[in-house]
Amino acid sequence: MGRYIGRRLIQGLVVIFGVTVFVFVVTRLIGDPVKFMLPLSATPEQREARRDAMGLNDPLVQQFGRFLRDLVQGDLGESSYVRGTPALEVVFDYLPRTLQLVAVGMLLAIVLSIPLGVIASRKPGGTTDRVLTTLSLIGLSMPQFFLGYVLMIAFTVRLRWFETGPGGFMNLVLPSICLALPAVGRLAVVVRSAMIDELNSQYVKVAKAKGLTRRRILGVHALRNAGIPYVTLLGWEVIRAIAGYTVVVESVFNWPGLGFMASTAVKNQDFYLIQAIVFVVAVMVVLINIAVDIAYKLLDPRVKLS
Amino acid sequence: MRTRHRLLSALVVLGVVASACGGDDDDTTSTDTPPATEAPTDSGETPTTSPTTSPAIEGASITIALGSEPTSLDPHIVDDGGERAINDNIYETLLARTPDGELIPSLATDLPTLIDDTTWEFTLREGVTFHDGTPFNADAVVATVERMIGLIAAEGTDNAGFYDTLTGATAIDEHTVQITTSGPDGVLPARMYWLKIVTPADAAKDDLSSAPNGTGPYAFVERETGVAIELAAYAGYWGDAPSIADVTYRFVTEGGTRLAGLKSGQYDLITNLPPNDVAQAPQAAAIQGQENPIIILDADDGITADVNVRKALNLALDKQAIADVVYAGYAVPVDGQLLSPSILGHNDDINAYPYDPEQAKQLLEEAGVAGETITLVGESSGRWLNDRELVEAIASYWTEAGLNVDLQTPEFGAYLDVLFDRSNRADAIFVSSSNDLLDPSRQLNTYYSLSGVGSSNSNAELQQLVADGQSSLDADERATIYQEAVQIAYDEAYFAFLVSNQDLYGLSERMEWTPRVDSKLLVKEMSVNG
Repeated sequence: MGRYIGRRLIQGLVVIFGVTVFVFVVTRLIGDPVKFMLPLSATPEQREARRDAMGLNDPLVQQFGRFLRDLVQGDLGESSYVRGTPALEVVFDYLPRTLQLVAVGMLLAIVLSIPLGVIASRKPGGTTDRVLTTLSLIGLSMPQFFLGYVLMIAFTVRLRWFETGPGGFMNLVLPSICLALPAVGRLAVVVRSAMIDELNSQYVKVAKAKGLTRRRILGVHALRNAGIPYVTLLGWEVIRAIAGYTVVVESVFNWPGLGFMASTAVKNQDFYLIQAIVFVVAVMVVLINIAVDIAYKLLDPRVKLS
Repeated sequence: MRTRHRLLSALVVLGVVASACGGDDDDTTSTDTPPATEAPTDSGETPTTSPTTSPAIEGASITIALGSEPTSLDPHIVDDGGERAINDNIYETLLARTPDGELIPSLATDLPTLIDDTTWEFTLREGVTFHDGTPFNADAVVATVERMIGLIAAEGTDNAGFYDTLTGATAIDEHTVQITTSGPDGVLPARMYWLKIVTPADAAKDDLSSAPNGTGPYAFVERETGVAIELAAYAGYWGDAPSIADVTYRFVTEGGTRLAGLKSGQYDLITNLPPNDVAQAPQAAAIQGQENPIIILDADDGITADVNVRKALNLALDKQAIADVVYAGYAVPVDGQLLSPSILGHNDDINAYPYDPEQAKQLLEEAGVAGETITLVGESSGRWLNDRELVEAIASYWTEAGLNVDLQTPEFGAYLDVLFDRSNRADAIFVSSSNDLLDPSRQLNTYYSLSGVGSSNSNAELQQLVADGQSSLDADERATIYQEAVQIAYDEAYFAFLVSNQDLYGLSERMEWTPRVDSKLLVKEMSVNG
């Protein structure tokens, strides 16, 4: 297993490097941070002087050489938007709040989706199943900004139960619900169908015949086997949350995390910050994928990690 | 069973992490209580983050929600509304403006006197100290001016356009300083309303973002990146003690979220309240500021090269209807010029082009361009208030007048490429012109001079007037020159003049504040009832 993880890490490094280089080239080809740095009234000469000073007028190959040299020293450049601050430092300032949001949101998704899926699978096609399946569909198809504003109008403006923006743990409640709901829908559907498959399988019938309690069959045997597709989707949900959904949720709830920073960086064509964000997110994606593989092994010792 | 345990413990770890993070945030909210209560002896331990004020000022605490976090807290490096909103309270300038825009003394005791064509002398206020105790004197002014000159030379500031005429400063005595310019510069007093004075020690540093230290009524207390910046009244302030003791700034990008926070009582003041949401805010405050959306017409090329076409494009627009519909009434038709009434050089004799669709049609037909295509470029990122609705309205008026309008609204970055492309001008480009210094020079340079990004004419006479206006040292003479310049620009219809939209603020029930024409958020002018 150690060797396997080592190999996956090396593959991961290649992926991360490739993604970083790709982002370097794309941003350099289509963007210009100076447009957003200087005031609208700056003269063309002033803009040109700034581009010179930042080395943006140098040949791309030369810029790339500098970028690689700095990269191996762990330097991803200075953000042009958060002026004078190393891009990585900006990322680490904002990342913890995103991790916090994703952790709570995904925990909520797990806690809700498993019982919902199990309950729905008990009588496939029954009323409970149909109600839960419909709810799941609503959850997963609701646009997050819409859901966000609905939650905010109800609970912040009308009831005043929660504040928006960074603050105490309570401020995390609405954004995590907003982040979790679509995932709950998708995850519950997977739990339901996997459980239906398992409950119809031969070993469950044998276990029933043996006189094992329903709880033991469900909780220990069936659920564990349903775990593989579940963990696969969960890993995917976590990645999508970190690398996508938080952009919307963080903006709506004014939660200053990495998703919010990413959209700011793109809006301002901040090459350095975009690069640093993509780099850190790529690292996390690689690690999550490895974690998912390890979870397979833990769920089913027959799985060979190779 | 073993595996299930592991999964469970992994979940528990996640939960602990989450709650630990939550705990951190709980700690920071507790810092919302008024600080600066430490005795002066305690302040030695964290000199950079807490003001050396002795007693806490009695008064209320308020929270202001800004649309964006400052990109730096250094008062000289960036050109950023978020930075100014905060630093305008921490730092001061030699001159200031009344809420109506009139130039008045601040750290100087009077308006400057001219020594010769390029030397201005300021007498400085005595008994003023910076928050760290450093006395304010001529050395601070000299160091500040020299820092700015150095930053411009090193391409280290975005503000070169504000200060590029400065050549140096000399201390005559402790409280007298002379500032020199590269040529006669009538704008110098207005520039000194913008340049924030720092201590000689700070002037030697590269970046002052982490420890702002000015002479202003509020001192920096602390900042949590991404979350909040907190200021507290400075007990050693030379002016009247403000009634607000403590102010916390929050940064809320989404307008809907800002409004929700205002309504739920989280914020006392929000900026950029959308006109359609005024009725929803507990209180709203509006003022005719400096925002002046215009359509730049290409006077050198294409169908707009004909002055009668440009006039027709003005006549075709129902300015009052635009103000009423696009801005819900929180705008007024502009009187045919770039300069707002609060600015020197505003020409009272010019009136807006009337709405006369028949004459517009007739002029277009006479010019032989009826049915031809005109390109109109706006932007779609919502950078300016309702800008997309505005260009759509304009496009429909021009269509009615008999043109085929090619309306393009790319995202902001691509829009800037069009605006900055001076050699290949689009027929008509939307932009919102503003005026920071409340002086005509920079605005007219930008929109009328050949080299300006917002200009689309090559009128040498107009360019000369703009240059003369800058170098004239007499305010009355400057006013006359600029009045002539805006008259030419009106007669030539270099722009389609539209409306000036008001600055709108949402206020909590308890807030008492009147907005300023320069849109500065000076907390010392705010108070709360109850």
